[in-house]
Amino acid sequence: MIHVLLIIFLITLFYMAIANRLMTYIKVLALQGVLLFFVVFIQLSEINPVNLALILLETIIFKSLAVPLFLSYLLKRNNITREAEPFLPNFVSLVITTSIVVVNILIATMIKDDHLDKIFFVVALSTLFFGLYLIATRRKIITHVMGYMVIENGVFVLSLAIGNEMPILVNLGIMLDIFASVLILGIFMNKIGDVFKDVDVDQLSNLKDY
Amino acid sequence: MLSVLLILLASLFFTGIIIRTKSLASGRKGPGILQPIRDVIRLFRKGVVYSETTSFVFQLAPTVYFASIVMAMLVVPFGRTAGVLSFSGDFIFFAYVLALGKFFSIIAALDTGSSFEGMGASREALYSMFAEPAFFILMGSLALLSGHTSFQEIFASLHIGSQISYALAALATFVLLMIAMIESSRMPVDDPKTHLELTMIHEVMILDNSGFDLGLILTAGYLKFAVYGALIVNLFIGVIPYQYAIPAFFFIQFMMAFAIGMIESFMARFRMSHNPQFIVVLTSVSLLIFFGVLLILQKFI
Repeated sequence: MIHVLLIIFLITLFYMAIANRLMTYIKVLALQGVLLFFVVFIQLSEINPVNLALILLETIIFKSLAVPLFLSYLLKRNNITREAEPFLPNFVSLVITTSIVVVNILIATMIKDDHLDKIFFVVALSTLFFGLYLIATRRKIITHVMGYMVIENGVFVLSLAIGNEMPILVNLGIMLDIFASVLILGIFMNKIGDVFKDVDVDQLSNLKDY
Repeated sequence: MLSVLLILLASLFFTGIIIRTKSLASGRKGPGILQPIRDVIRLFRKGVVYSETTSFVFQLAPTVYFASIVMAMLVVPFGRTAGVLSFSGDFIFFAYVLALGKFFSIIAALDTGSSFEGMGASREALYSMFAEPAFFILMGSLALLSGHTSFQEIFASLHIGSQISYALAALATFVLLMIAMIESSRMPVDDPKTHLELTMIHEVMILDNSGFDLGLILTAGYLKFAVYGALIVNLFIGVIPYQYAIPAFFFIQFMMAFAIGMIESFMARFRMSHNPQFIVVLTSVSLLIFFGVLLILQKFI
């Protein structure tokens, strides 16, 4: 069942690579949160209430509800147009995403380590690289936040790959990261939106000192 | 032999069911289920008109196209029963015999000297080029999973056991259905109802064909759908006894026609520039199937 969920997780990455609208990205992020919750829920060997509550808070509340709602609020408030505006055509994105997954599968087959669960490893690394790719190739600032969220999901899966139990410190760290990044970038966006009409990565270079 | 009979029977109704579904979905009564077959029979009674600019290639092509589909039909098995031809590696034969037919229909379209037909031919070649890796990765994964290399042995030894193989079966069905839609030029990629030459793909290639040749091409289209449908059915029936497998065959074919009718009623055709990425998604998904097969085989833990 975990494998099925992780394969669905990879498919969401492909979908994200060819999606056109920002709302689609947000919906996919929410879906990824739900998928991660079920993965952790099945993966955990023993469930104690504190751990479960923490995971529930992190995946469902943060990743699937709070952050997507906040991002869509940002979209509405700053009147951001709904297209993602990638630098590369979607077709190239898809080919690159596919090759990321393939390269990761090849890397994973080369590793000889019995402790590492390799499907988690593949999914985690692919998600990480895809997040970086998403950040690098989209024109709007808000897609940087989304790419960052994707990377967070990758780190989350990677923390599952190492052991059966979720270290509580890793959890807390991830949660703090999400919270800080989304909040800071959100406020940042709101401020920028008040000053400039159009939020574009290229215009950030205008902010430098002379 | 059984599979050929069943495919012939299914192809009689398949297109009719699609058209009836579309009519009902749009609130019309629609023509009878057998209307496409009646059209084809009417076309078969007619003579053929050839343009003066065409050469013998144009006259040869519809026959080769039809023959290629019939050849492909011969290797499709039905559960445990092998097709008329069955040998190791016959799925490669299947794909390339279809490609041969497609090649002839492409050069026939180029032969007419019409610029529209050349454009349609170029698109058809592009899309089937993108769809080919998806089919081969899918069949290769299934061959790896079952350890056999012919259609009949692959399908007979597929058994759905663990949860991941359910997921793989669902993905494989999706990929095969989409390949069928692309190869038979149905909706998400190509609109069979369009009458503007700039947006047509398959239809624009057969604009110059008439009478008997057109009938052959249409029949080949109906058969092609039923052939792909039979492949999808084979994913499910495996070693089920005949009294259940044959109704299952017709049920799945019916559901497939119904699904295609619904998709065509409620979806718009993709923009031409979005088609290649849609088709490459199939390759990506079939790569995931390959990955899943490696997981099942414990080659990758």
